Amino acid sequence: MNPESLRYSDEYEWIGESNGVYVVGITDFAQEKLGDITYVELPAVGKKIARGEEAAIVESVKAASDVFAPVSGTVIEVNYALENDPGLINRDPFGRGWIFKLDGINQKEYEELMSYIAYRAFCQGES
Amino acid sequence: MKKTPLFQAHEAKGAKFADFAGWALPLQFSGALNEHLHVREQVGIFDCSHMGEFLVTGKPAAVALGSLTVADLPGLSPGRCRYTALLNESGGIIDDIVVLRLDEDRYFVVTNAGPLDQVRTILTAIPGVEDLSEHTAKIDVQGPLAREVLLRMEGEWARQLAYWTGTETSFLGIPCYVTRGGYTGELGYELFVPADSASAVWNALLDHQEVMPCGLAARDTLRTEVSYPLSGQDFGPETTPLEAGMERFIHWDHPFPGRDRMIQMRESGNYNRLVAVISEDRRAPRHEFEVRLNGKRVGEVTSGTFGPSLGVGVGLARVEPSAAATDTRLAAGPRDLNLTVVSPPAYKKGTCRIKINTNE
Repeated sequence: MNPESLRYSDEYEWIGESNGVYVVGITDFAQEKLGDITYVELPAVGKKIARGEEAAIVESVKAASDVFAPVSGTVIEVNYALENDPGLINRDPFGRGWIFKLDGINQKEYEELMSYIAYRAFCQGES
Repeated sequence: MKKTPLFQAHEAKGAKFADFAGWALPLQFSGALNEHLHVREQVGIFDCSHMGEFLVTGKPAAVALGSLTVADLPGLSPGRCRYTALLNESGGIIDDIVVLRLDEDRYFVVTNAGPLDQVRTILTAIPGVEDLSEHTAKIDVQGPLAREVLLRMEGEWARQLAYWTGTETSFLGIPCYVTRGGYTGELGYELFVPADSASAVWNALLDHQEVMPCGLAARDTLRTEVSYPLSGQDFGPETTPLEAGMERFIHWDHPFPGRDRMIQMRESGNYNRLVAVISEDRRAPRHEFEVRLNGKRVGEVTSGTFGPSLGVGVGLARVEPSAAATDTRLAAGPRDLNLTVVSPPAYKKGTCRIKINTNE
């Protein structure tokens, strides 16, 4: 996915539309902060989640971190490739390191997320 | 934050830094997993210049120091190292230390950075103890090819040194102390060189293609896999050596603080054990996870991480005696991570004890 076309949460998740569904992952800034990722716990397919709810867990050598749903929706697909190769998130956070896909999202919540430019500024304030 | 003499060398290699006991140390260079696996297969070097070093001269000083530890220092053979615990008045562990007996009269003592101020106060109060920490850099050379690389660099001492022995020698024309040991479970050497020679030694090591600079993150996963405790995290002033997995290092037949209490504990068997644990998959136990046996709290995880060479989570936990036997199945953390107690070291393929052929 092209980072410039994505939306961002203040918990370092990205979300973007692809073929009518919304793909969610964590940002390059987040994976860089976490270090080598060693385990990902994926949400159950079919699960309805609300914005801000814990959707997945990403563990690195350093610590375990929650991945929150950036918007409300239904999990329709998860990235099983991460089970055997969680390092995909480090190597390709906006591509093959995606975590789950949502359908039926809350559009208003989506519009409220940060743009790429706003997110860049946010990260500069955090680093 | 304090900087080691190698700070600039690390910056030049693109290290990410972290604060460790007030020191700016490299957390990682190329990445923790990569560095970890490299140490298990080739050679990694670690900057441990934040650690403390002391020279103890004379028998009275050795006896005085020995009486603060669980080791029989005067009984140590020259050239040999001993891992031991420095104790407070009640037998709690101020620090775990390594003592190398250099010769009849002198001992070289290596301590950790965390409790160094307190350790320095205690040790330098003993007449005959000199603090070398400020002017000494420590470089750990760790991995199955460590000896090969050091011999290529004319470190002839590496030809002879057996596991847990050491000597006062020179390397690249620089005077140094050397021990064969380390914190990774692999064949390794710890080099103690004058601070102003540290970068010359570090860079000369990096000239060899097998050698990779490694940071604290890999050091932590490597030591956790081989079930080595970390001072101040897996034990502290509230923990006796019995409760820190150090029973086999206790020389009972000499006076040391807390001895009577520890004898009672040992006889009753009623004390918490530090045990090695592994998980069933890549999910890792984490520091301070509650540990449960059949739903009842029996202790907590003191260290935990993903073990890159094991492929599963690995850690240390302090648990009640009922939960300490090998193969005991435990649950930990907020989401019932399954753990199994294993005999230490959790990772058993380390090369640290390898017998070397001194003709090669």
